[in-house]
Amino acid sequence: MKKKAGMMPWLFAAMVVLLGVNTAISEETGAQAPPQAAAAMAAPTIVLDKAELNNGGSIKVSGQAPAGKPVFLEVWADDHAVRANRFDKDVDKETGKRPYIFYLTQDMPAYYKTFVPKELQPKIDEAKKKGKKWSYSELLKDLGADVAYAVPAKAKIERYQSTLMASVVGSRGTLLDAMDDKENKKRSMQLVKARFQSIDKVVAAAVDVKPDGSYTADIKIREGLAPGKYKIVAVVDKKVKSEPATFDNKIAFPLVYLENAGTSLNIFYPFFLSLGVAIFGVLMGAGGGFIMNPLLLALFPALPHTIVAGTVTPTVLFSQGSGIYNYSKIKFINWKLGCGIGCAMLLGGFIGPKLTEMITLDQFKFAFGWILLILAALMLWQTTPGYLAKNKKEQSILKEFKKRAEETAKGKN
Amino acid sequence: MKIEFWGQEFQVNMVVGCIGGFLIAIMSSMFGFGGGPFMVPLMTVALRLPMYLVVGSSLLAIFFNTSVSTMRHYQFGNFDLYFFLAMFPAAILGGYIAPQIAKRVSPLVVKRIACLGLVLLALNLLGVY
Repeated sequence: MKKKAGMMPWLFAAMVVLLGVNTAISEETGAQAPPQAAAAMAAPTIVLDKAELNNGGSIKVSGQAPAGKPVFLEVWADDHAVRANRFDKDVDKETGKRPYIFYLTQDMPAYYKTFVPKELQPKIDEAKKKGKKWSYSELLKDLGADVAYAVPAKAKIERYQSTLMASVVGSRGTLLDAMDDKENKKRSMQLVKARFQSIDKVVAAAVDVKPDGSYTADIKIREGLAPGKYKIVAVVDKKVKSEPATFDNKIAFPLVYLENAGTSLNIFYPFFLSLGVAIFGVLMGAGGGFIMNPLLLALFPALPHTIVAGTVTPTVLFSQGSGIYNYSKIKFINWKLGCGIGCAMLLGGFIGPKLTEMITLDQFKFAFGWILLILAALMLWQTTPGYLAKNKKEQSILKEFKKRAEETAKGKN
Repeated sequence: MKIEFWGQEFQVNMVVGCIGGFLIAIMSSMFGFGGGPFMVPLMTVALRLPMYLVVGSSLLAIFFNTSVSTMRHYQFGNFDLYFFLAMFPAAILGGYIAPQIAKRVSPLVVKRIACLGLVLLALNLLGVY
């Protein structure tokens, strides 16, 4: 702690300088005296061929950079930030212990991508071969693009020390001290991966650099992104950056930006999907939640699994509520039994959502896949002749009781 | 625990019911579904309760779980208002349309289709295709 306190003024000074350099170069005031190496190199220029996109599209970037240097383009959504979180349970190489620390930021840009020179494509392909185990920080270093990594590094990251006990009571754990800039940057890279998942979403080889230093790039902004201002900075070195160029991504109804999910979606898709699933769910005699969730995940990979789970749950809640109301009218609920088991389920419901944000999308899909297989087996069992024969008897008793109950309820009115 | 329902008495093993309910609740709130398809077999098979007792009471038990997990998901910022507004009316509408269709289709066929659909979805999530 003492050491840390001693370092604080230095860190603060470093931060001021770092922040200052960005603006100093762009304004070219020179008042803050950028380091000599940077002074020797002129900042690159940047020009966009249009200032507006309509739900994604392609934009041409061109400019002049110092000759013989690779040019990286850092692109991010400036108006909208999203949440990113990661639960670190990998064994620490130095201590051999599992840290169990939960990292969380609210400041992740809704869109963040680095465009690298075209000739680096083979390196990206190589990283893709690693499958899901790719490392964002290694990739950036490999491409030399770590010099262009600036915006998410400034995101304010909170970290919580998680314990088994904390998980049981459903809390995130104790909030730890803020990290220094270097650590913050390192963790932010992991969060970038946790948020954007695939390599294609965070890097692309698109910049064509000529020997004289002029560069052009056709950058493609995909559909379904956050609306608002986007910024592009051409980066040659850590301190040699262009002024940010801005373009606007417009989206119009029926596309709606989902603030928490960080994506734009044609609002009619989930509407009709939900309609179909709800009808099917009722016909099947079960809520539609367990079909809706995997369907949404499969059809809209851009939606984070936490948002899917968190938004489908309240939708299911209301159909359950109306079901309970209907049953209670004819006194078809045993309150003692329902509340008894309900109390146990209450505890489970308290813990579950916490676990959702601790697991990655892949773990979510894996576990959900198996749950669905079990469910399918249960359903299949319910269509076997033995079950049907038993069920027929049960159903007729059910109907009889229901009739009696309805008549009693009517009699009272 | 003894419970009474429409003039009949049932013996319920609450230990099994509560542990099973607890596990199902964690699972269903984690993945954001109701949990009915798991609760009903638990109560009919493991607790040996008749169907007519289970239909309403399991719904009540699940309701506890869903309301708490809704609250928790909201607290963790997992809830998206516009997304919800797009799905919610559709779910209500579906609830009205479904009974009209229900008379015309056999539940057995629906279940078998659901079975197939679930397997396909599961394989998709598991990355088989």
